[in-house]
Amino acid sequence: MEQTIVELKNLSKIYQQGEIEVKAVDNVSLMINKGDFAALCGPSGSGKTSILNLIGGLDSPTSGEVWLDKTELASLSSSELAEVRKDRIGFVFQSYNLIPVMTAYENAAFVLELQGVEKQEQHQRVMQTLSDVGLAGLEHRRPDEMSGGQQQRVAIARAIVTRPAIVLADEPTANVDSHTAEALLDLMQDLNQQQGITFLFSTHDQHVIERAKRIIQVHDGKISADDYRA
Amino acid sequence: MNLNTLAWRNLWRHKRRTLITASSIAFGVLLAVTFTGAGDYFYTRMIDAGANMGMGHITLAAPDFNRAPSSKKSLQRVTQLQQQLEKLPEVKDVMARIQGQGMFASAHKSVGGMFFAVDPKQENAESNLFIKAMVEGGMPRTADDKTIVLGVDLARKLKLTMGKKVVYTTTDKHGDIVSAIARVGGLFQTGSNEIDGSVALLPMHSVQKVLGYQQDEVSVLAVILHDQRHSHQLRDKMQNMTPFSQVEVLNWQQTQPDLAGMIAVDKSSNYISQLLIALLVAAGILNTMLMSVLERKREFGVMMALGLSPQSLFLLVMLESFWLAVLGLVIGVIVTTPWYLFMSQTGIDLSGAYGDGFSFGGVLLDTVFKIRLFKESIIAILIGLFSLALCAGAYPAWQAGRTPPVESLKAL
Repeated sequence: MEQTIVELKNLSKIYQQGEIEVKAVDNVSLMINKGDFAALCGPSGSGKTSILNLIGGLDSPTSGEVWLDKTELASLSSSELAEVRKDRIGFVFQSYNLIPVMTAYENAAFVLELQGVEKQEQHQRVMQTLSDVGLAGLEHRRPDEMSGGQQQRVAIARAIVTRPAIVLADEPTANVDSHTAEALLDLMQDLNQQQGITFLFSTHDQHVIERAKRIIQVHDGKISADDYRA
Repeated sequence: MNLNTLAWRNLWRHKRRTLITASSIAFGVLLAVTFTGAGDYFYTRMIDAGANMGMGHITLAAPDFNRAPSSKKSLQRVTQLQQQLEKLPEVKDVMARIQGQGMFASAHKSVGGMFFAVDPKQENAESNLFIKAMVEGGMPRTADDKTIVLGVDLARKLKLTMGKKVVYTTTDKHGDIVSAIARVGGLFQTGSNEIDGSVALLPMHSVQKVLGYQQDEVSVLAVILHDQRHSHQLRDKMQNMTPFSQVEVLNWQQTQPDLAGMIAVDKSSNYISQLLIALLVAAGILNTMLMSVLERKREFGVMMALGLSPQSLFLLVMLESFWLAVLGLVIGVIVTTPWYLFMSQTGIDLSGAYGDGFSFGGVLLDTVFKIRLFKESIIAILIGLFSLALCAGAYPAWQAGRTPPVESLKAL
């Protein structure tokens, strides 16, 4: 039986824009299982990023529940949510969002530092992870000394170095060329297959959609289709 | 990388901005040292000069003498009291004095004034302003002399020169009018018209005889302290000591209320100036930190998404303010030290504007503008500016910590 990592139950998110109510997420129920390599697909404004934000505890739902393993996120305080994100979720953002004053090594080690992992273990895990993402030897470079693809690899290293339950990736290939996008997807696919890391993407990039094992179609805040590839 | 190191590195993202803000803190240090140092120096000079003009930093007198001076109110057995006072570590000098009102008459004119009877053996230039201000002749050689020392303006009013006779008239211990003759043995010029035109110094024993006092009887004991700042504390301590239970113990604020009032008013305006400087410095820090927080809003969102708690984010921005404050204070100390050394040792000569001296609150001050900081003032300036920098950083830090991560991530 597959282990469910994330479960959304009747999840809704309504934003107030002036006097207009916008239903970004509309009564969504969904389960993400361990080992999934899933893509939330849909046009811009369909609600993909809103769903990722709700799963990541970055935003709170208007109604419904978000369960991460056995924790219901809506009931947690902002500090408790920070703890959950630190220990159990990895994030990869569209525009890399590395901390510019840190080297690749320091960016990757940042969350381990927050977790209070010992320096020696930090070093081992960071060096191994940077090597896994193909950045061995570049650990002392700062973000402005790296290409977009290299920066996104650091972002992936930062997301997986803590061995999170799930990695949430918001349009991870949107800012890189197609060759780099393919390389990044190879990397994430390898991490999924070899290390069993669960990935959930939001994307409208055809490269990502083609690689995903599960495609969840989102339209107007609702899930219109949810299929596993054979 | 811990938050402390991250905060330090963040500070150097905009070197120029950081250095400008740190410079404003450093400038705040310079101004605060100058203003406070000028206050510490001039107030001490004024208080010491006031004390050296007759009543000391602490005055021991018969009960009610200070409110309504009279020859009838005297201190007895002053030698014993003097010995007790000299045992106190805060005390530098103790001088017995008789203070009274009198009429000074020459062959030409009579002028009302005030006299101090002093024992030349007990007096020295360090604790007696008139000795330093002597322009002709000198102090009475002995306590039994028949000489009088006059302020130059008083002598001018009486049309007296050195060696001329003066008759001084006052009331004795029993309230009877008494007179005695003295010869002018010295003239002093303090620079204060009020003092130079009304004060005379007389030998102690001669006056005691005139007033009908015993040899061990005076009107006040003037106590000079090593540090005027201890006057309040020492007065309170002395009031509870048995040897002084029968006498009135007063500090300089009580014996010279005009001077105390003027210093209080001047201190208030000094504080207001310093407050304005502090506000300007705070505005600079607040502006820098707010800009720094606003332009990193998205980055803060990412850090929160990675698991940094709102409290840690608050701490990060506060640490940036902390390091900015430390940097500003270090630059401030480096810049201010040579200025302070120059101003405390050499100073700026303002005699071109003020002549030989000027009086403030009836006290003569020299014209060299100097500064000197008390240890506690240095600590107050450093702690004050440091706290100010932290307070100015608190609002941006709070802003950073309270913004929900999803809002921060939306920022460009």
